[in-house]
Amino acid sequence: MTARVGPAIVVRDLTRRFGTFVAVDRVSFEVEQGEIFGYLGANGAGKSTTIRMLIGLLAPTSGQATVAGHDVATAPGRVKESIGYMSQKFSLYLDLPVEENLLFFGAAYGLEGTALRARAAELLERVGLDAQHEATTGDLPGGQRQRLALACALLHRPGLVFLDEPTAGVDPVARRAFWDLIRELARGGTTVFVTTHYLDEAEYCRRIGLMVDGKLVALDTPAGLKRTWVPDRVLVARGRGLAEAGPRLGGAPGVRAVAPFGAGLHLRVDPERFDAARVAAALREAGAEAVEVEEAAPTLEDVFLAVVDRDAGGAP
Amino acid sequence: MSAESEKFWSTARRQLAAVFRKEVRQTIRDKRVMVLLIVAPLVQTVIFGFAVDFDVDRVPTVLVDQDRSDQSRLHARRLLADQTLRFAGQVGGIPEAEQDLDDGKAAAALIFTPGLASDLASQRPAEVQVLLDGSDPNRAMVASGAVSRYFGEVGERLIRERLEAAGRPAPAQVVLVPRVLYNPRLKSAPYIVPGIAGTLLVIVTTLVTAMGLAREREMGTMEQVMVTPIRPLWLLIGKLLPFLVIGIFDVLLLVAVGSWLFEVPLRGSLLVGAVGVLLYLFSTLGVGLLISTLSQNQQQAFLGGFIFMMPAILLSGVMTPIRGMPGWLQAITWLNPVRHFAEVMRGVLLRGAGFTDLWFQLACLAALGVGVMALAVARFRTQLG
Repeated sequence: MTARVGPAIVVRDLTRRFGTFVAVDRVSFEVEQGEIFGYLGANGAGKSTTIRMLIGLLAPTSGQATVAGHDVATAPGRVKESIGYMSQKFSLYLDLPVEENLLFFGAAYGLEGTALRARAAELLERVGLDAQHEATTGDLPGGQRQRLALACALLHRPGLVFLDEPTAGVDPVARRAFWDLIRELARGGTTVFVTTHYLDEAEYCRRIGLMVDGKLVALDTPAGLKRTWVPDRVLVARGRGLAEAGPRLGGAPGVRAVAPFGAGLHLRVDPERFDAARVAAALREAGAEAVEVEEAAPTLEDVFLAVVDRDAGGAP
Repeated sequence: MSAESEKFWSTARRQLAAVFRKEVRQTIRDKRVMVLLIVAPLVQTVIFGFAVDFDVDRVPTVLVDQDRSDQSRLHARRLLADQTLRFAGQVGGIPEAEQDLDDGKAAAALIFTPGLASDLASQRPAEVQVLLDGSDPNRAMVASGAVSRYFGEVGERLIRERLEAAGRPAPAQVVLVPRVLYNPRLKSAPYIVPGIAGTLLVIVTTLVTAMGLAREREMGTMEQVMVTPIRPLWLLIGKLLPFLVIGIFDVLLLVAVGSWLFEVPLRGSLLVGAVGVLLYLFSTLGVGLLISTLSQNQQQAFLGGFIFMMPAILLSGVMTPIRGMPGWLQAITWLNPVRHFAEVMRGVLLRGAGFTDLWFQLACLAALGVGVMALAVARFRTQLG
């Protein structure tokens, strides 16, 4: 039986090497029951390798992982029965009708007969594809394909689903609709482990792990990450002549970062030394005109850049 | 049976049925594959059956009759009445006959020089010339053989007539009475069609299996399936089974078409044939699976299939006799399932051979099939495990 007590995922010093390359380097974390856990990182940071180890497709080089109460190294079969998985690349049968895909994967999970048909119909309705059940899968637009893939991962009512970049290459409206489904799933008690590189999506996660070069370098709630990694005041400046004035301000004490942001400037400053009014004054002094400065909430993008900066050699 | 193992087998049955059903659905929905599996073997059998014809007859022959005697006209008529040579016109001289050979209008020219009739009548040595197009050695040999056989008989008859006219007894004759077993009319098609069945099954089973599995890998569906609790072995059996069925269907189709169109007899036991077909399909499916484990995508699988297919067909004895190959190449043909299968099919269909006659070929097929399949399954499972 699937263990419903304790964390959904426990990872201890999980490591995977390919030759001399260390794709995942002593990663440890826990995912609680019912949470949406985001796994972030640049391409090649080790996100997919981690997932492939957690779903039993790839054996870890060392370390341990327990998924839904089962050890991935010793009981990959049990792990597979307990989880749903949606891969980064759309991987259902494009030449089969929508419903056939559901019936095939349902049977692969051991479902049969009327129970399987009823479950397939229920999921098609839930992901909003009941009208397309006879359509050829390859004819569906990207967003609908992703929803079908999610439905296929949910057929056997897993308590834990792994979604590897589920919204890659999908338009913003379809992305929003997809995330509504994910959040509904989590509200129903399903644990969701999701990788993405859309940082706006990561805001939906309860907690986020950040991977850089195979290492898990940060793990916290979105708000916690922002507090820890972006202690600076984030300001957005608009006006004329900022392109010239900005860099002049760059070296001043208390100014941590200046970056162009649309037609304006994005600044990170020491909250002890600067506020919006003082930055506006400094920019005017440096030659800018009609300057307006507003305080902005730090985003996960700021966190991500700060983490990558730190890792590239700078101090936090 | 314990509850645990009962659950295991019922899940296994569902999974196997699901893969089989899915594979059949995909195959039926893909019109190109259906053509490849059903129509192509049919068309190829018919075309091969008609086109691959080792029987040499109706060799187009022009006549140059410079003797213009009753005798020469009689010989020309008799010689060309035989099915081996076909009258392709009469020309005035040797240069025109050579021109016809050059142009490909004729493959042989029969030349009666002036004085043929008078030479024969006056017991002088007579000469008949034959010009032959040697670019097809087999045909040239057959044509020249037909002419020399005819004039041999003519000479013999002349001797007999003269001896009898002189009141002396004619010498005793040696008459050849051939009796050809199994294929009495020595037609090519009954020999060719059983062999064609072997080569077509390679295309249908090896190529389609290799490409089908490579496609799953290429499209990522293999990974999605491997995340389900399905066992690699069930997946494999479910995927291979439909092609086994199609292979058996194709054999039946070919045997039916062969006997209907080309008078291929069906003398042996269907059981022996069925055992041969099953063992053979085991090795062709195994080779397909093995190729797919060595390929990253469909293109590689297709190429791999061809790299196997070409020598397998050429070294099968279907197109060219194995006895004509150098010894080391003959040794290699023992490893070729197409060879053993072609021998089994010919044995069963033409000679009515049974297990006692074909045990060696069947044993070879079994050994090759089990060996290749075991290797392929092992590779497949380590790749997915």
